[in-house]
Amino acid sequence: MTSYDVELKDIVKDFESGGGRVRAVDHVSVDIADGEFFALLGPSGCGKTTTLRLIAGFEQPTAGHILIRGRAMEGIPAYHRPVNTVFQDYALFPHLTVEQNIMFGLQMEGVHKREAVKLAGEALEMVRLPGVGERKPHQLSGGQQQRVALARSLVKQPAVLLLDEPLGALDLKLRKNMQYELKALQRDVGITFIYVTHDQEEAITMADRIAVMNEGKMLQVGTPKQIYEHPETHFVADFIGETNFIAGALTERGGDGYGSVRLQDGSVIRAQLADTLGSAASAVTVAIRPERIGISTPLNPPTAFGGGVDSSEIAMLDALLVDSQYIGTDTRFTLRIGDGIELVARLQNIDDLAVNTLRIGQKVKVFWQESSATVLDR
Amino acid sequence: MRQSLINEGAMERNRVIRRLGSAGLWLNPIFAYFFLWAPILILVLFSFNESRSVASFTGFTLKWYNNILNNVMGAERAFSTEIMLNAFRNSLFVGTVATAISTVLGTMIALAMARGRFRGKRLLDGLLFLPVVIPEITQAISLAIFFKVVFDWVALISGERMFPGFHTIIAAHVTFNISYVAIVVRARLADMNPQLEEAANDLGANPWQTFWRVTFPLILPGVISGALLAFTLSLDDFVITFFTSGVGTSTLPVFVYGLLKLTVTPEVNAISTIMMVLSTILIGISLAMQGRNASRA
Repeated sequence: MTSYDVELKDIVKDFESGGGRVRAVDHVSVDIADGEFFALLGPSGCGKTTTLRLIAGFEQPTAGHILIRGRAMEGIPAYHRPVNTVFQDYALFPHLTVEQNIMFGLQMEGVHKREAVKLAGEALEMVRLPGVGERKPHQLSGGQQQRVALARSLVKQPAVLLLDEPLGALDLKLRKNMQYELKALQRDVGITFIYVTHDQEEAITMADRIAVMNEGKMLQVGTPKQIYEHPETHFVADFIGETNFIAGALTERGGDGYGSVRLQDGSVIRAQLADTLGSAASAVTVAIRPERIGISTPLNPPTAFGGGVDSSEIAMLDALLVDSQYIGTDTRFTLRIGDGIELVARLQNIDDLAVNTLRIGQKVKVFWQESSATVLDR
Repeated sequence: MRQSLINEGAMERNRVIRRLGSAGLWLNPIFAYFFLWAPILILVLFSFNESRSVASFTGFTLKWYNNILNNVMGAERAFSTEIMLNAFRNSLFVGTVATAISTVLGTMIALAMARGRFRGKRLLDGLLFLPVVIPEITQAISLAIFFKVVFDWVALISGERMFPGFHTIIAAHVTFNISYVAIVVRARLADMNPQLEEAANDLGANPWQTFWRVTFPLILPGVISGALLAFTLSLDDFVITFFTSGVGTSTLPVFVYGLLKLTVTPEVNAISTIMMVLSTILIGISLAMQGRNASRA
């Protein structure tokens, strides 16, 4: 007995286009657990929506297998799959009332009309939209239509709910609210959510696990924390949040998972080696998040890591403060290390002393914990 | 000072040109509509003329309409009026049958063109417009020849000679009506969000249920609009009908044409007016249906 709700086994999907073939999904394998909130994250055209459509049954894979609750989906049409989809533009039936929209799926199952009406009412209450059953979809706002679409899918009690950028059409404020609500709703109903988005923040705040996709490939699958703090490829590090990339040559691989990288100006830093790093790689890049970088001056010694951390585990480089930018919660500093290599550091504005004493043109030192930096293929 | 005088002169000239221009723009549609409607207005006017002659308007009467009505009610029977009403009944019969067939076929073609994926789709799509753009007389002659060839073959094989009649008129009307229906329905389908069909599928509706519960209700205004257009075209058609009709199957326009060789009776004016009003109403409904927003159906 498997505890996986959805298993993708080496899925390939090719599309014919203008005589040529375009590979939309390229050997994707992933197992999604029962009750998981799983996000498919990537830029437009990365294959995330195609993957979703393959699970829904709107497209058939060119190769590979899809299992839902352990059952192979080959030859099973969309209308017999235990999954339901919330479409990006909601796809509510314009000729039916809200209630009829929600009852549609139930009636297809042969649920008795009276029972369907009752369930539709409950579904509307669940999405906190009671009393709009008699209205037509176009009489509702975008956010309300979104809720109706959700109710229409959830009322079927699917094994898996597929959501295709469901918040994409909403304005920022509403989107934030809906993020929390969706997450809470998912926790309540306990249904597996597969959530397609190009918004990394949305994926990080909502998902239990994220799969980052690009050019049809699933580059990394992990918890938001793993994806953010330990990106395994250049693309993932670049796509999620802001990252500094420092080019260098890998000179030594330690047995402890750390390696030494010589930068262009000759200085050598140690950083964690990514699991995906090619065994023969020598031209590499070191990725480090701006908020992991500290700035020290004679006035502000690097006390942030004092005490417990051995100074030998800290990388420290000379730098010139080139620019600073106040962005509310943080101040964003641009620093030049060596020739032509620039880093961005973010310091929280809580630490007034450190932030306010820094002056553009000042010579400083930048430092970070070696465990915060990752060596990636270039 | 000089400079400003010159400017004022130029400005005055511009003002006059603008006035003339706007007057011209205002008169232009008046002339255009006059030319469009004057002949029809005269026809309508003379359908109420007391005198049988179209030379002068001698007084207002409803008796020509009354004659037609009486004939329908079966009270009084003038021979010419009876033939005319027979032609009108033929028109309605041909129109109804041709519309029914072409609406079903045209809708199916529109669906195939919009949803299907097959080779030569673009070519077929272009060919669909052909009956709309080729001269009616060309189509009429081609149909006449086509029917003759078919009848010859039938005679050769079965030994029975077939003659043109309702079946040929209806077949001919269906050929041109299909295009109009397909074009109108396609426009409606193009407005429809294809994800609606996927949503229905996703919610457990098989293709048959999806069509009848989602697709068809959404394209229905287009189908009705196309049907009304087809019916009107069928009712109004003269050239193609003329070339494909047989003995005793004249539709109203063909009958009126035959009548014109002799004389224009006031009943013809009256029935033409009725036809025009009927066509206008049908086209009006058709346009109103097309204008309905697909997303709000």
